[in-house]
Amino acid sequence: MTISPALILILALTLYPVAYSIWLSLLDKHSFFPQERFVGLENFFYLWTDSEFWSSLWLGVVYSVWTIFFQIILGVAAALILNESFMGRGLVRAIVLFPYMIPTIVAVILWKWLLNDTYGVVNYWMFDLRIIRDPISWLGADHIMLSLIIMSIWQFFPFVLLSILARLQTIPPELYEAAKVDGASALRRFVHITLPQIKGILFVVILLRSIWMFTKFDTVWLMGEGAGAGRFIRTLPVYAYMRTLTYYQAGLGAALAVIMFAILVVCTVIYFRLFREEADIG
Amino acid sequence: MNRWRFRRLSSRNLLYLGAALLVLQAAFPFFWMVSTAFKPAVEVFAQPPSFIPHHPTWDNFQRLFTATNFLTYFWNSLIVSGLAVLLTMAVSAAGAYSLTRYEYMGREKIAGLILCTYMFAPIMVVIPFFILVKKVGIENTHFALVLAFTSFCLPFTLWLMRAFFKTIPVQLEEAALVDGAGRIRAVIYVVLPLALPGIIATSIFTFILAWNDYIFTRILITSDELKTLPVGVQDLFHSALIDWGLIMAAGMMITIPALLFFVTVQRYLIRGWGAGAVKG
Repeated sequence: MTISPALILILALTLYPVAYSIWLSLLDKHSFFPQERFVGLENFFYLWTDSEFWSSLWLGVVYSVWTIFFQIILGVAAALILNESFMGRGLVRAIVLFPYMIPTIVAVILWKWLLNDTYGVVNYWMFDLRIIRDPISWLGADHIMLSLIIMSIWQFFPFVLLSILARLQTIPPELYEAAKVDGASALRRFVHITLPQIKGILFVVILLRSIWMFTKFDTVWLMGEGAGAGRFIRTLPVYAYMRTLTYYQAGLGAALAVIMFAILVVCTVIYFRLFREEADIG
Repeated sequence: MNRWRFRRLSSRNLLYLGAALLVLQAAFPFFWMVSTAFKPAVEVFAQPPSFIPHHPTWDNFQRLFTATNFLTYFWNSLIVSGLAVLLTMAVSAAGAYSLTRYEYMGREKIAGLILCTYMFAPIMVVIPFFILVKKVGIENTHFALVLAFTSFCLPFTLWLMRAFFKTIPVQLEEAALVDGAGRIRAVIYVVLPLALPGIIATSIFTFILAWNDYIFTRILITSDELKTLPVGVQDLFHSALIDWGLIMAAGMMITIPALLFFVTVQRYLIRGWGAGAVKG
């Protein structure tokens, strides 16, 4: 059977490591040395009393909620625009997807340069237009979360755009023509024709984006690296990474990964219960 | 009548305005990167900033290629991403063929399971992966990195290839089989040529994913001469004074291959079958 190599690789390279991390979360283990000691649920008890864990959970939720909300709004709006026909539409579509296709490191250096407090072009403009009097320290404690959220929306809303646009193209134009003949306004056409049609894909897109934003590591980590204010954007994935590779506590790191996964599973189940029927997908 | 025409016109203008804003927000950061990359050091920090470099120079690129290990990182990225694409595609094309051409128990279950692994984000896989890789003794090798990329890409390439094979009518192969061709000949002469566009597109998506990866390389690779581009470029930040011209030149050099590949596949993406093709 030609499926077996694929299955073996998925088992060995994804499912086995994930199962192993559950075992790892029950150990007291140094990340580099082979010693390990079974400690039961001690890692989880420790995290329960760990204020850094709770703050990372909170920061992660703040980051996910804001970025997901705006990604969806902007993604749908942009998809509606790019679904209309106008000159140069193909080119515009391609350009708008760029930010999603580039390596995260590039997105981060671009934004760190734009937002640089002394030489950044954003501060220069805001100063020039008299919006601000003193340069804003975008990567300082007060603003770094805002900067991270803006950058993440910029980087990831094209995914929403792409998924919604693909669905919009399959809606039969006759539906709109009939509604136009009946005199329905653009808003009513959106609510009564477009929205019901994109509900299903919206359900999936919100689910995927939530999973990916809640577990987003590279964007958050790279944004916080070297900024000094990194701890103000220390979300759960970043905290799990730091426990494993800064403090060398692989057991704790794995426990954090397990908690993250448990939260995702619980939220996904609730999400399905609440919205599955409304979204009308099998 | 007049009022109606006015409203039509203004909604048209609104559309153009929206499209223009979309282009501007996406393109301006890139424009700024390119502009900075061609500025001499003095001009990089000039106030007010110049949009088009007054004294364009290749200096930043020259330093990038001579004073840093950029070319090594570039080469590493190319090799690791290329190998990951080969492994992923061989395995997933074979797997997808089986999933669409043979009937067996649990076939749909397997397809569902593959989709479920989308749930395992890299951060959840990479910590145990790192410990296991150390146990096996292949840490700090490109081999481990290729395996990691494969684990990351395989579920979605399988899913894509399955969607693609589904669109190739099975009757064509059956006709070849009836004509006396063996299964292997039927696949090589009938299925592969038809599947080629899909295979190429999927390979490119995989390549972009591997090319863009940061987390696996950061964790699995420690020696400088084995690093890939995203990690290597991040380390350029560690000097005392950040050399923005150099960093923007590096950013440009990483972006170009990713964008070139993207441009070749973007029509598949927008046409729709690739909507499941992007991850992260």
